[in-house]
Amino acid sequence: MKTTLSYKILIWTGIAVLLVWSLGPIYWTIASSVTPSADFSTRPINFFPQHFTLDHYSRLLGVNIARIGGVEVFKQFRAALINSVVTSVAATLLCVAISAFGAYAFTRLQFPGRKALFIIVVATLAIPAYAVLIPLYQIMIKLHLVDTYVGVALIYVSAFLPLSLWLLKSVFEALPIALEEAAQLDGAGRLYIFFNIVLPLAGPGLTAAAILTFLGAWGQYLVPLIFSPQATKPLTVLIPEFVTKNFIDYGLITASGSIAIIIPALVVIFLNRYLVSGLLAGSVK
Amino acid sequence: MASVSVTNVRKSYGHFEVLHGVDVDIQDGEFVILVGPSGCGKSTLLRMIAGLEEISGGTVSIGSKVVNNVAPKERDIAMVFQSYALYPHLTVEANMGFSLKLAKAPKEETRKRVLDAARILGLEHLLDRYPRNLSGGQRQRVAMGRAIVRNPQVFLFDEPLSNLDAKLRVQMRSEIKQLHQRLKTTTIYVTHDQIEAMTMADRIVVMRDGFVEQIGTPLDLYDRPANLFVAGFIGSPGMNLIRGKISAIGPLAFIADGGGELPLPAGAALERGAEVIYGIRPEHLAIGQGAVTADVLLIEPTGAETQVTASFGSDHLIATVRERLELAAGDTLAITPDVGKVHLFDAKTERRLVLA
Repeated sequence: MKTTLSYKILIWTGIAVLLVWSLGPIYWTIASSVTPSADFSTRPINFFPQHFTLDHYSRLLGVNIARIGGVEVFKQFRAALINSVVTSVAATLLCVAISAFGAYAFTRLQFPGRKALFIIVVATLAIPAYAVLIPLYQIMIKLHLVDTYVGVALIYVSAFLPLSLWLLKSVFEALPIALEEAAQLDGAGRLYIFFNIVLPLAGPGLTAAAILTFLGAWGQYLVPLIFSPQATKPLTVLIPEFVTKNFIDYGLITASGSIAIIIPALVVIFLNRYLVSGLLAGSVK
Repeated sequence: MASVSVTNVRKSYGHFEVLHGVDVDIQDGEFVILVGPSGCGKSTLLRMIAGLEEISGGTVSIGSKVVNNVAPKERDIAMVFQSYALYPHLTVEANMGFSLKLAKAPKEETRKRVLDAARILGLEHLLDRYPRNLSGGQRQRVAMGRAIVRNPQVFLFDEPLSNLDAKLRVQMRSEIKQLHQRLKTTTIYVTHDQIEAMTMADRIVVMRDGFVEQIGTPLDLYDRPANLFVAGFIGSPGMNLIRGKISAIGPLAFIADGGGELPLPAGAALERGAEVIYGIRPEHLAIGQGAVTADVLLIEPTGAETQVTASFGSDHLIATVRERLELAAGDTLAITPDVGKVHLFDAKTERRLVLA
């Protein structure tokens, strides 16, 4: 297809709209987080912050609080940040590990009801979370798992496992079975093959599953709102609490929001290195 | 090294049987090639010998031991896959030493055996590379190296050359044959390429639709194909095969259905009027004199020889001659079949008729 000028303009306009759409709110969050509280109510609204301040971050991180004299949110924020990281990381590790084993079993092992079981597991993706919240809450209460890391992580795992399983199954199916057969003839057992041949080659797929799970868990709101009310409260639940009956603390909301963006961004940037394709080059053909 | 016996082996997927009782006996140190068109069951048979497919019926023995229920890794066999199946995340050296590492062989011994195999295959300078940095021929050699290092009782090759270009294929063909002459390990090799089979094998097993059609030495199959399928499958260009009858009256001759008459060996014990298929290899048709005439359709010189396609009645005859003939399409040729080299097949059973 010949790229005419109007075609190019169309493409670039589309890209620009998408960029504004996806990056605009992020910019607004970061810009607001360095705007002094007094400037929030000025009119007209300025696109760029007129005055620069790190006071909101100081309050959040507990630096120089005496000078500002604000409310003590530092401890809450630190706890929530840790809670978010712990539950997301735990959910990611558990979910990827379990789904890797499961997907491999669904791909390579023959057992009765294989297809049906897989369909049932994946079909749970279609069940909306709020449909199971109340029974789940009762179960978790009985198991004494409400407001515990284990409880929240397990809920996340059950929520993200089907997707991860589905993804990894197609990854394993795409691996040439000849490699596994060659290893089998070379004297390797099932588990050896799984850990030393299959997993290294499925690296990009595992990474993709990890990213999806981590981002999904990190952004959860409804589940922790109910299951993590106090001790394990994550950022997503804490941040809206900066909205009180009489006062909306935009500074704290945007500053903590900015930090909440940075962590998953770092995780994606770090894992992205393993998301390379072409790992299989040279093995077959 | 060991002999391999395949006795009445069957394979079915559900109700669908793909191997219908196959018997092959392979001697210690022999190079046997399973050949046949795709879907004939040759790869399935090889994979059953390897232990990668379950055996639905019959027995496979390696040495004197029935291995039907023995795990692949305990059969002491090495296999070279069509796709090479090199471990992409391991170096050439690690690929070749993989099985020894698993067997917990001492490091120095592993290193020595890998180096020995690398020397045999000319891979010494590539040991640190990864498969993705190798050419097709080098990958093929690494796959073979991985098999050699293990010093197994039996080598299995599953169409190992089909991913290589034509020139490399010819080269690897002779390398594999030399390797076998050197190591003398019992080898079972699967291919659909009859030239590979002819050039490399001690014996060939021709398969079709899950049956063994014929087992024999390459020249045996070439000179005395047991049936029409083998006659057509072995040889390139293929044998001329013409449908017709034995003359009912008069001197003994073959009357082609498409018109024309071809000579038969004098005194052959043949049923007059029987429907048969007349087979003659292209190199057994002499051009220049004789009673049979045909019209030239196509001349294909290959340098060493010339392939002439001519119409004979409504059939085609292909002759290969070493002389350089001054011919053009449309010329009329006189052709003489070498009657001593004529093959006849029963038109119904497609089996070879004994002429003597």
